[in-house]
Amino acid sequence: MRNSKPIRCLILACGNTTRSDDGVGPILAEWAAERFRDNAHVRVVSRQQWTPELAEEVAAADAVLFIDGSVNSAPGHVQLVAVEAAAGDLGAATHHVDAPELLGLTRALYGSPSAQAMLLTIGVGSTEFGESFSEPVNAAIPGARGVLEETILRFLEN
Amino acid sequence: MSQTITIDPVTRLEGHGKITIQLNGKGEVEDAHFHVTQVRGFERFSAGRPFYEMPSLMARICGICPVSHLLASAKACEAIMSVRIPHTAAQLRRVLNLAQLVQSHALSFFHLSSPDLLLGMDSDPATRHILGVAAANPKLGLAGIALRRFGQSIIELLGGKRVHPGWVVPGGVTEPLDAAKRDKILAMIPGAYTNIGLALDAYKQIADKFKAEIEIFANFPSNYLGLINDDESFEITDGALRLIDAKGKTIEDGITASRFTEVIGEAVEPYSYTKFVYYKPLGYPGGCYRVGPLARLNIVKSICTPQAQKELAGFKQLASGPVESSFYYHHARLVEALYGIEKIEQILADPAILDKHVRATAGVNRLEGAGQIEAPRGTLNHYYKVDENGKITWANLVVATGHNNNAMNKGVLQAAKSLVKNGKFTEGALNRIEAVVRTFDPCLSCSTHAFGQMPLIVTLLTADGEVVDRVARN
Repeated sequence: MRNSKPIRCLILACGNTTRSDDGVGPILAEWAAERFRDNAHVRVVSRQQWTPELAEEVAAADAVLFIDGSVNSAPGHVQLVAVEAAAGDLGAATHHVDAPELLGLTRALYGSPSAQAMLLTIGVGSTEFGESFSEPVNAAIPGARGVLEETILRFLEN
Repeated sequence: MSQTITIDPVTRLEGHGKITIQLNGKGEVEDAHFHVTQVRGFERFSAGRPFYEMPSLMARICGICPVSHLLASAKACEAIMSVRIPHTAAQLRRVLNLAQLVQSHALSFFHLSSPDLLLGMDSDPATRHILGVAAANPKLGLAGIALRRFGQSIIELLGGKRVHPGWVVPGGVTEPLDAAKRDKILAMIPGAYTNIGLALDAYKQIADKFKAEIEIFANFPSNYLGLINDDESFEITDGALRLIDAKGKTIEDGITASRFTEVIGEAVEPYSYTKFVYYKPLGYPGGCYRVGPLARLNIVKSICTPQAQKELAGFKQLASGPVESSFYYHHARLVEALYGIEKIEQILADPAILDKHVRATAGVNRLEGAGQIEAPRGTLNHYYKVDENGKITWANLVVATGHNNNAMNKGVLQAAKSLVKNGKFTEGALNRIEAVVRTFDPCLSCSTHAFGQMPLIVTLLTADGEVVDRVARN
C-alpha cells in the first residue's frame, strides 16, 4: 500500500481482524486500497493500533480519513464526523493514540495538522475471537463503503 | 493502623502490573511488591503443535519484541534439527535483531521515560506523556519517532510486517536480501545517527538533575548476566552467557543455550504471575541478578563499533566497577541503540549480505533444543521438547523480565522506603516508584507463563476493605 508521490488524502484504519467486528476498519481500508489503487494521491495505511509514529504520515497529507469500529455506537451504525486535534491535557497512551491525539501530536511535532480530518466509525456488535462480522456490521459494510468513497472523492476535489 | 498504598495500573509500561506498598502503624514502609497481573499461557497451548510453527506462534507473545521470540524460537528449532544456518542468514537475522533493538529502545526512552526525564518527575500527570514531550521539545519528539520508524521500517523491509514479521524460519530465513532493499536501509542510516546523537546529548544534559533519583532507583550491588563474544566484546544475537558478580568478577562463563537450565532456576512468589529467575548454585534469592542494557554494558569490555565504543568508555567512567543504579539503564539503552545503527551499517556494507543461500533444511534429529538471545530488555531463552514426529511436548520460556523480577521488587522497596514517610506521599513520589520499574523497561506480556500450578490466594473484601474470607491454593 505504499507509494512515494505527494499524498493528498491519507486513509488511516485501525482494528484487529481476529476480533470479529473490530476488523471492520482494516476490511474497509483494504477495499479503499483496491478502489483507489491507481490514484497516486491516495495512501491507505491499516494498522492494529494507531501509534505516534503515524504523525509523520498525517503531517504529509492534505486530508486524513480515520476508519475504526466503535463500541459507543449501535451495532452497524455508520457515522462520519469531523475530528479536531487534541489539546495537550489529554492523557495520551504510549502504545496507541486515538484520532484527536494523533492530530494533536502532529501539530506539536510538525506545526500544522491536516487541513481536514474526518473519522468514519461503524458500531461494533461483537469483539469475540473470530474473523467474521456480526449481522449488523455485515449489513452496514456496503453503506460504509459508499460513505468512504464519497468522502475520499470529496477530499480529492478540494 | 497499617495501610497499603496501591499504584494500579503502573503506567507507561508494556503490559499490566501494579505496585503495592505496605505501611506499618507508624506510617513507615515495611514491604513493597511489583505484581504482574496478567497470564498468557503460551507454553501450555503450544503443546501438540509442530515444532516448525513455534517461531511464528511465539512471536505473538509480544508486539514490542516479537523479533526476539522469533529468533530464540528459531534457534531452539535448529537445535532440534541439528543444523547450522548459512552465514548470510545469521547476518540477516542479526540485522533484524539490531533493528528491533533500536526501535524498542527508542520506544522505551522517548515514549515511556522521556516524559519523566524532560518534563520532570513532579510535572502535571495530565501532560506527562509523549504529547507533552513533543510540545516541550519538538526536535526530540521528532527524533524519537524517527528512530522508532527507522527500526520498524527495517523490520518491515526484511520481514514483511512491522509487528509479528515472518521471514525467520527454522533453518534460516525464507528469502535473501536484494540490493534495492539493502540500499533503502542504508539510505536511512545518516538520519538515524543524527537522531540518536540528539537523544544522547539530551540525556547527558539532563542526567545530572536526577542525582536524588539515581541514588534510590534500584541502586544496589548485584550480579549481572548477558551474552558476550569470545573477545569479551558486546553481542546480542549469538554466543554464550557470562554471569559476573557485584565487583565485576566472573562467576560463570560459557553458559550456552543447552546448559541454561542446568544453571538457571525459576522461583515462584504468591504475589505475581512472573517468575523469579536465579543462578542455581547461589540459590534463591541470593543467586538473582540483573539483565538488559545496564547488565550488558557492565559485563563487556568493548564494543566493536567506533562511536558506541567511545560511549561505552564514557559509561564505564560512571563507576570504578559495575554501574549499579538502574537509572543508568536509560544511558545504556542509548549506547546500545547507537551500536545497533553502526552495526547494521557495517553488516550491510559486506557484499556477501546479498548471497542467495539463506536456509538449511532438516527434520527432527534431536528430541529437545534450546535457543538464547539478548532481547532489548535482556536475556531470553526458549527450550522445547518434541516427540519423534516433531510435535511439541513441552516448552519453557525464560524471559528478561523474569530475570529482573527480583531486582525490580528490591528497587520498588528501596524507592518506597525513601519516598514514603510517616504514611505521607506525593503524586511525584508515586511516579518515581513507577519510574523505578520503567528503568528496567519490562515486557510484562512476555513474562507470564504457566509452569505447574500457580500459587493462588483469593481475598474477599467488603466495600470498606474489611476482609470477609480468604482462600489459598499451594
